Amino acid sequence: MSSSGPTGFLGRSSSSNSNMRGLVQFIADLRNARARELEEKRINKELANIRQKFKDGSLNGYHRKKYVCKLLYIYILGWNVDFGHLEAVNLISGTKYSEKQIGYLAMTLMLHEQHELLHLVVNSIRKDLLDNNELFNCLALHAIANVGSREMGEALSGEVHRLLISPTSKAFVKKKAALTMLRLYRKHPGIVQPQWAERIISLMDDVDLGVALSVTSLVMTMAQDNFEQYKGAYAKAAGRLKRIVVDGECPSDYLYYKVPCPWIQVKLLRLLQYFPPSEDSHVRGMIRESLQTILDLALETNKNVQQNNAQNAVLFEAINLIIHLDTEHALIKQISSRLGRFIQSRETNVRYLGLDAMTHLAARADTLDPVKQHQEIIIGSLKDRDISVRRKGLDLLYSMCDTSNARVVVGELLHYLQNADFAIREEMVLKIAILTEKYATDVQWYVDISLRLIATAGDHVSDEVWQRVIQIISNNEELQVYAAQNIIKYCKQDHCHETLVKIGAYILGEFGHLIAEEKGCSPIEQLMALQDKLTGCSSSTRGMILSCFVKFVNLFPEIKPQLVNVFSVYSHTLDPELQQRACEYLTLASMPTDDLLRTVCDEMPPFPERESALLSRLHQKHSKTSDKRTWVVGGKDANTDAAELALAKQGGSLRRTFTTAGGANGGARGTAAAAAAAAANGRSAAQDLAGLDMANIGPAETKTLRVPNLASAAHLSPGWEKGYNRLLLRSDGVLYEDGQIQIGVRSEYRGQMACLIMYFTNKTPALISSFTTTLDLDGSEKGKLTWDVKGLPDTAIAMGAQAQQVIVFEAKTVFEKSPTIRISYLAGALQALTLKLPVAMHKFMEPAELTGEDFFKRWKQIGGAPREAQRIFGLAPGLREGSREITEGHVRAVVEGFRWGVLRGVDPNQKNFVGASVVHTSEGGRFGCLLRLEPNYGTQVSAALLWGGVLG
Amino acid sequence: MMVDIGLNDKAKIVKDVSQLVLARRTRMCNFLEYKDTKIVYRRYASLFFIAGCSSEDNELITLEIIHRYVEQMDKYYGNVCELDIIFSFTKAYYILDELLLAGELQESSKKNVLRCISQQDALEDMEVEDEVTKIL
Repeated sequence: MSSSGPTGFLGRSSSSNSNMRGLVQFIADLRNARARELEEKRINKELANIRQKFKDGSLNGYHRKKYVCKLLYIYILGWNVDFGHLEAVNLISGTKYSEKQIGYLAMTLMLHEQHELLHLVVNSIRKDLLDNNELFNCLALHAIANVGSREMGEALSGEVHRLLISPTSKAFVKKKAALTMLRLYRKHPGIVQPQWAERIISLMDDVDLGVALSVTSLVMTMAQDNFEQYKGAYAKAAGRLKRIVVDGECPSDYLYYKVPCPWIQVKLLRLLQYFPPSEDSHVRGMIRESLQTILDLALETNKNVQQNNAQNAVLFEAINLIIHLDTEHALIKQISSRLGRFIQSRETNVRYLGLDAMTHLAARADTLDPVKQHQEIIIGSLKDRDISVRRKGLDLLYSMCDTSNARVVVGELLHYLQNADFAIREEMVLKIAILTEKYATDVQWYVDISLRLIATAGDHVSDEVWQRVIQIISNNEELQVYAAQNIIKYCKQDHCHETLVKIGAYILGEFGHLIAEEKGCSPIEQLMALQDKLTGCSSSTRGMILSCFVKFVNLFPEIKPQLVNVFSVYSHTLDPELQQRACEYLTLASMPTDDLLRTVCDEMPPFPERESALLSRLHQKHSKTSDKRTWVVGGKDANTDAAELALAKQGGSLRRTFTTAGGANGGARGTAAAAAAAAANGRSAAQDLAGLDMANIGPAETKTLRVPNLASAAHLSPGWEKGYNRLLLRSDGVLYEDGQIQIGVRSEYRGQMACLIMYFTNKTPALISSFTTTLDLDGSEKGKLTWDVKGLPDTAIAMGAQAQQVIVFEAKTVFEKSPTIRISYLAGALQALTLKLPVAMHKFMEPAELTGEDFFKRWKQIGGAPREAQRIFGLAPGLREGSREITEGHVRAVVEGFRWGVLRGVDPNQKNFVGASVVHTSEGGRFGCLLRLEPNYGTQVSAALLWGGVLG
Repeated sequence: MMVDIGLNDKAKIVKDVSQLVLARRTRMCNFLEYKDTKIVYRRYASLFFIAGCSSEDNELITLEIIHRYVEQMDKYYGNVCELDIIFSFTKAYYILDELLLAGELQESSKKNVLRCISQQDALEDMEVEDEVTKIL
């Protein structure tokens, strides 16, 4: 039967449990047990037997292993096993692999991470991590990855890290170490030290796809919290994705039904979604090419289920990335039409995922038009036979709703609500309530829908919903009359839901007098409507009705006798809360003057502005996921960034602008009002989201642990100056060289543009891998000097070979500091350098020719500081004592090297140098520069006087 | 997603989710929502394989993890059936450990996984052999 694996000494491979006859027999017995009682009987017998064996002690490894295995089987069947844990721990500390393996399995299955026995195994695990046999390392890593706690992590993370990065670690150990690290990071992020980041990122280039996959999972998780620290992963992910998808770089073992390792593709595509889109045109180009290839490949139809699934898994992740990038308009167009087909697919999985992806699109897109095209089909999905699909349809309808289609969408949702599954009714009610509030432009519509919603959903209406309706009505005068007219109609019906009675009690108590003149709404009729409900309602609703009645005493003195009658009846009720209320109201109503009554029953002030409780409630459920959401269900405004939300919070959200429905004069005025309303909607919609849990979508602000930016000038490697200084005067040459690598630069400057080609030569006697470069510039200079990387160097450089990288710089305006580059690679261990690039302001100067007359004329125009500066300087001590003598020719070479045009015969003193040049910048414009240098060769301390000036 | 939960909660989740999955009909999709988690399941003959993942995770690729696991067992046991999994349940766990770790796929090459398991088997066999030699 066993076709693979070596055949063991005892016939069949020992891999099965067949060599433990007792165990096989036991399992067979249990399978033969016809009734649960028989199974229980057999198990109890076995448990007693095992307990006795353990108590007797002196079991050899084989027997201990067998009994632990039996316990494990009993445990898996769902029976309680409360002993034997210690025996499992003993197996772990043994020497035999097969015994350890069972011990570890029992430990990881039966003990949870806080179990006290786990303290006992930390040392055994450490020993196995240090063992020379990799299989033992793997057992230990599995154990940590399955039950590792923060404490275990703190004790063992160093060893796990060593196994991850050691050049001698085998691939199958490395990938386990990476995922074990991931587990520990999730338990406690502090376990992964910031300085490990660069080394870990470099492993994403590992030739072994299993290692690359595991490390990518690790990096993906950590990058969500430490965006700056892991930003180097972005270009790596883009590059690897392109190599796999476009260049077909994937060993045949990793083809899954012809799809090149879909798992790593999905991870890489996801990782890219945790970063803002790259500014770098080369990286963007690689991503675009990969995405297009994925879209094209998905067009091929295949028969095989697996291939289809794998391809679609990648496709849907690619769609998420395209939506995230938000810049690839051509790609967006392609996916919108394709999603339209997906949501009509005959395959349920595809319909489900299509709706999900479209919800993402609606959440992020600038315009909802591509989604709205499919409105009919989406509404139809609410009738799908699969509840999973119906839920997705609901999410999408909620996200695609705006002022233009709110009536249709809300109408459909209300209609569907009547037959919706109980499990989703409450959520639906919340969503309908939010949409109604958000997109209402019309008084009647808001009131009609809100009341109908409550009438329809009844018991599924949470308190937040009806309270919010009252708040909105109270704070918006134009709603009050209409609301009062309608709620009384509901209250008059025999089957009026109690929640509507609550609203009725409040609204009529506050605004009943506004409609008292109307037919059917006279004070006595209002009273009757509510009084009829008193008996059938809960205590809290009755309380509200009594409060309404005391307000009536104030508003409608003509029905006071009837009201007082109600109070006196309730002053004898058994419910203490209602009794107290009735007594107080009775006293209040029977006072000689109604001064106090008037004060108490004065119109309620508007509700204070607050976050919408509806949204907080809706988003409560999205609080605990392991990976951060890249978007949330809801329109674009639900996904705007935290800062915008905070800003929007300050405004008023309860106060709304409605266009008056009655005003049918239309014309320009109507449209203007609608526009104003729409603007108001936009604002209040964002404000409503104030209750949203931002921790899920915004950058994590809690972890602002500053990490060193190794690419910055603060971390320059020793020996960087020599090449840098030399290249300040020259366009080509060696920037840096050591025993392992030589870095050369060639450069060309044209106006404000510069093209730098960097050459990296491997001087080691072996291949160097994971070659990575990262550019950086001091924060104060950002925007002054920009760059675009035109290509990335190969990640692997053979012995003696060379890789190159082209970078184009643009001087936007005057800058002072040179950019820096971090170069890292694996040559056994991780090697890294930070160098300053010879890109400085003077490189963008162009020597100019001027006559003496012009020179002095312009010099005068400069007009002193701050546009003129003077400096006296000596030469560095090292140079002074050197053999080189400072001659006129040498000075001239330096001046010209700094890109000055040396003007002859301008200065009366022939020894002095006079120069002119023009600085080119793209945004700051061009600047003329003038220079006068007065060298003093006489003294040993060569001094010079430099005059400079800038003409705008 | 990794969550550590008590044994009682675990039993309840297993019960809830099994009921939900068993109630679904064919031709429905392979995904459903359970609390904050997404359930991805697939049926092979009378056996259901059920995975839970975060609501953010890619559903289809999770579905294919299940399939890869089944294929991997098929390759190891040779035309795997329920009895193989029951009688050598420990092996089913060892194979899973080679495939998934910390809830993430660690290896998608069938050959590499098989090699790891074979190494384990070889080591075990060697130990058994040593034992027998000692006895003799």
